[in-house]
Amino acid sequence: MGAEILSASEAVARIATGKLRADTLVRDCLDRIAARAAVKAWVWLDPEHAVAQADAVERAGRPGLLKGVPVGVKDVIDTYDMPTQHGSPIYRGNRPFADAACVALTRAAGGVILGKTVTTEFANREPRETVHPLNPAHTPGGSSSGSAAAVADFQVPVAFGTQTGGSTIRPAAFCGVIGYKPSFGEFSRVGIKMQCHNLDTLGLICRSLDDVALLRAVLQVQPLRAIERSPAAPRIGFCRSASWDDASTDTKALLERTAARLAAAGAVVREVTLTPANMLEQQRRVFAFEAARNYAYEYEEHADQLSPGLRDGLLSEGRDLPLAAYVEAIETAEQFRRHLADLFREFDVLLTPSAVGEAPEGLGSTGDARFNAVWTLGWVPCLTLPAGTGNAGLPLGIQLVGPHFADEKLLDAARWVEARLG
Amino acid sequence: MPNVAPHRLSAIEIVRSIEAGDLTAEAVVASCLERIALREPVVRAWAYLAGEAALAQAREFDRSGRKMLLGGVPFGLKDIFDAAQMPATYGSRIYAGWWPPADASAAALPKAAGGILLGKTITTEFANRHPGPTANPHDPDFTPGGSSSGSAAAVADFMVPLAIGTQTAGSVIRPAAYCGIVGFKPSFGLFPPGGMRINTETLDTVGIMARSVADIALFRAAMMAIPYQPPVMPETPPRLGLCRGPHWDAAPAEGRHVLETAANRLAAAGAVIVDAVLPPECAASDEIQRTLGAFEGLRNHMPELRRHEALLSPQLRDTKISLGRKLTLEQYRAACNAAENARRAAHDRAGGFDAILTLPAPGEAPRGLGDTGSAMYNAIWTQLHMPCLTLPAGHGPNALPVGVQLVGRRHDDAKLIEMGLWTERGLLEGARLWAPKF
Repeated sequence: MGAEILSASEAVARIATGKLRADTLVRDCLDRIAARAAVKAWVWLDPEHAVAQADAVERAGRPGLLKGVPVGVKDVIDTYDMPTQHGSPIYRGNRPFADAACVALTRAAGGVILGKTVTTEFANREPRETVHPLNPAHTPGGSSSGSAAAVADFQVPVAFGTQTGGSTIRPAAFCGVIGYKPSFGEFSRVGIKMQCHNLDTLGLICRSLDDVALLRAVLQVQPLRAIERSPAAPRIGFCRSASWDDASTDTKALLERTAARLAAAGAVVREVTLTPANMLEQQRRVFAFEAARNYAYEYEEHADQLSPGLRDGLLSEGRDLPLAAYVEAIETAEQFRRHLADLFREFDVLLTPSAVGEAPEGLGSTGDARFNAVWTLGWVPCLTLPAGTGNAGLPLGIQLVGPHFADEKLLDAARWVEARLG
Repeated sequence: MPNVAPHRLSAIEIVRSIEAGDLTAEAVVASCLERIALREPVVRAWAYLAGEAALAQAREFDRSGRKMLLGGVPFGLKDIFDAAQMPATYGSRIYAGWWPPADASAAALPKAAGGILLGKTITTEFANRHPGPTANPHDPDFTPGGSSSGSAAAVADFMVPLAIGTQTAGSVIRPAAYCGIVGFKPSFGLFPPGGMRINTETLDTVGIMARSVADIALFRAAMMAIPYQPPVMPETPPRLGLCRGPHWDAAPAEGRHVLETAANRLAAAGAVIVDAVLPPECAASDEIQRTLGAFEGLRNHMPELRRHEALLSPQLRDTKISLGRKLTLEQYRAACNAAENARRAAHDRAGGFDAILTLPAPGEAPRGLGDTGSAMYNAIWTQLHMPCLTLPAGHGPNALPVGVQLVGRRHDDAKLIEMGLWTERGLLEGARLWAPKF
């Protein structure tokens, strides 16, 4: 095994002290990708270009928060030196003029853009070729399928995902890695294909909580705010959520077990119920109405190249939705956000399932977003931690949800929880 | 057939005339192109003109015989949006020669409603402050305002009946007012932003321009892909909140005079005019605006800063982006939260009126093309996410247009447009009824 097993934070420390060279790290990741091509996590990879970037970082000799760290970029995010194809034949071979802001910020911090990871069609539901790295008969989840699979498979330490419903948290949980969807508004969306302006959130997939803090500093151009080493025990709201009955038995058992374990370890754990309960319906309305309009060009000009599921499902549903129903959903979502803000006076984090269960068998569906979409609508930061395996031997996650614009607190609480998962 | 050149017609008249067989889309496009050929050397509204393609689309539309919401109506698109088969520069030298692969939603939706995209209109650099070459069509020594400079000038100069802009502070309402046309900024988020180059995500709002309120209503339906319901003239005169602040004392005499006169005329036409005062939560709006713009601006412009920094204007680099480097995440979050508090307070307060009547700009357009004028009368409403409509209402000392602005409750956009319809008529009617007392 080589440097590909390191977290971004570990790699940065070694590169900074000369114990590891950036090009060695990139080569080790590329070797792993070559050995594990069956995962099909990458839609674009140019090994020579990746190594050249690493060489350039070494030659420049500038310090950087991410110096020499390879990063995977979901293929709905623009890169000036690589195609950006949005998981759609409509954009086959598309070459953007400029980087997305997150890509430029990564490069500015010394990061290496390793390649583009597979996305479902337009970060939606129509799956593409990526398989689960632990069992190729199962989906890795989506829409950030390639990012989750590549990080889980040690092909890259960190990768960008996006989330409109559950597209970062769910695949991360399925693949057994950390997924982080920040508070809405924390990261720039310049250069990310716009699907829903009220929902789309740039997310991170990685294997270490420290990497979340590191990437946050890079993307926000702020000093690194390290996670507390030994944070106080958090006040935890155990939120089974309105979809609890849909969770698999192993997921339910994991959540109950985790709640009990965290209480035994010293956290205040109390059950919470969200009101109102129909937020999934509101999220669906916002999703459909906005996607139908932001994808107007694709819908009007290239309908034959859209998957029937997207075209005749979400997009035509959105075209038919009355404006009043959309506006009502927007206003209900705002009430929901205030409800969440009130709730977080009593709790530091909520504990809730990351997904319905393990990654489902088959590659035809990337799974269900019902344990994510509500939080995306609520604009609150979410983080999934790997927390065991299910009946099929695949990973299960637990999800922690924090107050809007208090992502640092969420990370501190996650550190405390992670140390006690056993 | 109407007895004027087709480029003088409103969008509604164009659609009606084409449907009646009195006019062809080709004749409309040709007439607009003639007008542009005549006036563009002075006005310089266009970054790119797709004349041949537009004529071909018009002929195709004529052959199809279809009846559509914007059937055969030419429109202009601010060069901050992408359109397929056209270059996009976002008002920056950096993007010279870039041809994006797809239409922004602001191009695709009007096209899907039968509209014909004539070309891209001049924007200031990234819809910020560094101006393009566009002049005010009423007097080329004066700015047309910005950042949607070309869209406002093109509509005002009868080059095109409809055009699209964006507003982050005052970039739709102010140029529309300076050019003497109708500008509409919807409630935040109601027009899709897909394919628009982002300026400040918490504020950016797609808007539209026309020469009548009725055309705004038509265009709005196309921009949102919603069924068109013609606005209904209110039967009872509205209750209008006359809002002089903030910065009333800083407005030049003609700005204040036109607003007071408009209020008097509307009162003469039957409107109830009451004083509207902004809630105290709105007091910090200028600082909030600066903080949101600068914090997001630094991060949003990182692609250009990293590879093309020398090609950014010093204005953008040394003011906004430079301030962005000094701001902390905590300051940004505090500004976001303060803006949200202001929105809630203003939404509650706005329930007392059918619309707020206020300044759309300080006064008439300033002299010179180096500066597009102040957005200090717009930023607050953009931040409040409220729908805004500007209407021409008078003139200033240089015989340039001066407008008034109506502001509605958030998400009550259709009602604001109906208030606009009444106000448009009320200003004319009131002018006959009201005589200044000396």
